Amino acid sequence: MSLRLFELMLWAAGYTVVISAISIVIGLGIGLLVCAAKLSPNRLLSLPATLFISFFRGVPLLVQLLLIYNLLPAVGISVPSVVAAVVGLSLCTAAYQAENLRGGFNSVPKGLLEAADMVGLTPWQQLKRIRAPIAFRLTLPALVNEAILILKASSLISVVGVIELTRMAQNLAASTYKPLLFYSVAGALYLVICWTVAGGGALAERMARVGRA
Amino acid sequence: MSLDFGLMLEKLPEILAGLWVTIWVWVVATALGAALGFLVAAARRYGPPPVDWLLRLLVEILRGTPFLVQLFLLYFGGPFVGLRLEPIPAGLIGLTVYAGAYFSEIFRAGFDAVPRGHVEAAQCVGLSRSQILRRILLPEMTMLVLPQCVNMAILLIKETAILSIITVPEMTMVIGAIGSQQYAFADAMFLLALFYWVLVEICGLLGRIAEARLSKFRFAA
Amino acid sequence: MAMNKRFLMKAMLGLSLALGLPLAAHAEDTLAKVKSAGVLKVGTETAFAPFDFINESGEHAGLNVDMFDEIGKELGVKIEWVTLPWDGVLPALEAGKFDMVAGPATITKARLERYRFTIPIAEATVALLKQAGDDSLSKPEDIAGKLVGSGKATAQLAQLQEFGKSLKGGVETREYVSFNEAYADLAAGRIVAVANSLPNIAYVAQQQSDTFAVVKPAFGQPSYFGFIGTKKPEDQSLLDAVDAAILKMKQDGRLGKMQEKWFGTTFDTPDTVPEPKV
Repeated sequence: MSLRLFELMLWAAGYTVVISAISIVIGLGIGLLVCAAKLSPNRLLSLPATLFISFFRGVPLLVQLLLIYNLLPAVGISVPSVVAAVVGLSLCTAAYQAENLRGGFNSVPKGLLEAADMVGLTPWQQLKRIRAPIAFRLTLPALVNEAILILKASSLISVVGVIELTRMAQNLAASTYKPLLFYSVAGALYLVICWTVAGGGALAERMARVGRA
Repeated sequence: MSLDFGLMLEKLPEILAGLWVTIWVWVVATALGAALGFLVAAARRYGPPPVDWLLRLLVEILRGTPFLVQLFLLYFGGPFVGLRLEPIPAGLIGLTVYAGAYFSEIFRAGFDAVPRGHVEAAQCVGLSRSQILRRILLPEMTMLVLPQCVNMAILLIKETAILSIITVPEMTMVIGAIGSQQYAFADAMFLLALFYWVLVEICGLLGRIAEARLSKFRFAA
Repeated sequence: MAMNKRFLMKAMLGLSLALGLPLAAHAEDTLAKVKSAGVLKVGTETAFAPFDFINESGEHAGLNVDMFDEIGKELGVKIEWVTLPWDGVLPALEAGKFDMVAGPATITKARLERYRFTIPIAEATVALLKQAGDDSLSKPEDIAGKLVGSGKATAQLAQLQEFGKSLKGGVETREYVSFNEAYADLAAGRIVAVANSLPNIAYVAQQQSDTFAVVKPAFGQPSYFGFIGTKKPEDQSLLDAVDAAILKMKQDGRLGKMQEKWFGTTFDTPDTVPEPKV
């Protein structure tokens, strides 16, 4: 493989990382909102949240991406390829992250909250000082897992016209007639990325544990 | 955009054939994947350390790369090393191995989570090894890993859509082709979304029923 | 509860306004829009050598790229490519993701009902590609009862299926996301032939003469390739301008040179969109 083609693969890997990272962050934001809505006692909030989670976990990303890219324009929302890809990945991961966060919030020991009540912390203070930090610590491993899943799922966004790592490998495999080489290189690059994220996640978990009661 | 499901109704036999391929490939790959995962988890727990290291490396490689890339390697790279699989066998093998890696991690956690005390208590009351396995270890572990197994099965339904890329005539392939032939792109996408959504919800429901039935084996960890 | 209902109504009203307004907006003339933006957005698939492909240096190349460079010069705009799998290109054109489609696509009756084609840019008649040295396929009819590949959502696939019906024992077809995958599967021996337009497979056979060969003669009805646009009124001025540019390139010999470069031959194509036979 010539140096030039390897550069192209690296560039595409960078694209994969950037798009996945943006989607994870946006997805975490949406996931928090959906989680809050789902935990709300108001059915007007919790029902749409349930539906959101069910839909985005129940439909393959491939289909979601095509719906966003090709069918949203019919209701007046047309977005370019990259935006469609980010929206698709974000909504998909938001559904999973909302469920992870819900699990995290539900696992905060009730005793801690009762104690917080006793010492007179307001609900907002409780959220900021107790519930959110504990829920974050509890859901960190799931978040790292989700990041890896989204990195891999981004291999599908070429269906809406984004040329990322898998698509680049596919293009070069066809133009050089060397599928074994290019798919192996793509696989190796995904491994490097995913293992780095997993390693970083393990480090973050250890650091989060330092302040543990 | 106009929705005209009558058109899709005309093609019902083809759609049902695609649905059938999706379902059987999914069921077989999930079952074989779970069995493979169980074997890998057991081999890593009870085998010699080198076996554990080697399997761990394989599992991490499979979990660290997209299924699509694995499938491309197997299907398009395979012939270059003398492995020429037809689309359905390639899809089945690819999906099974991919699932096996994830299932092995679920079972590994499950093995670790059954408290030793339960096994010791069973030994004390004189249960034989096979009785302990059948009455204590397997049911308790099944209860522990069931929710994750259901989640995995749901992920796998959606992964079957990717098999269309290596020409497996499953639902995404068939409905997509009908959509193209008839220029009914929107109908095809809605129908696909609906089919998968229903399949996933049914799978989730079956999982919850199974959990309820096994709940007598639940214990406070 | 009453409060919630009112809120819901308001939200729904707001949503419908937000969604409805762009629909009601006046459709701007596409040529004017393209010229003022200075960019013509063209959708295509990069797995259709030698019209449109990624070359060995990883660059987007082919007749399409050369032609649209010139078309862009004629219109005074830059070209922005959007590359999708072929079965996603026409849905995205209908969704307004780009101004027109390169492809190119075979001019067929069914497509003419739904889209507008530019004037032909090359011949599209369908033929078969086989493995080099495969003596069992000496004429198109020899594929009877065998497994043949083609591209998903292509006119070539439709013609293959039509041809198969005329053969004793029919033909089993396999549909690939792109022709590149079909060629790879032919090389691997999973299928006995690939049905695609003659200019495409002649190029592939010439590039890899050790691996592939063309089965002569072509089995399909004579047909032509053109670029595609929509029938929306606002798009017509753009397509008229593209037609004029192509015609000009044809008359001043630029198109002939490009055909020579990519196909080693020139095509005798009509100056208007002909009545398709397929």
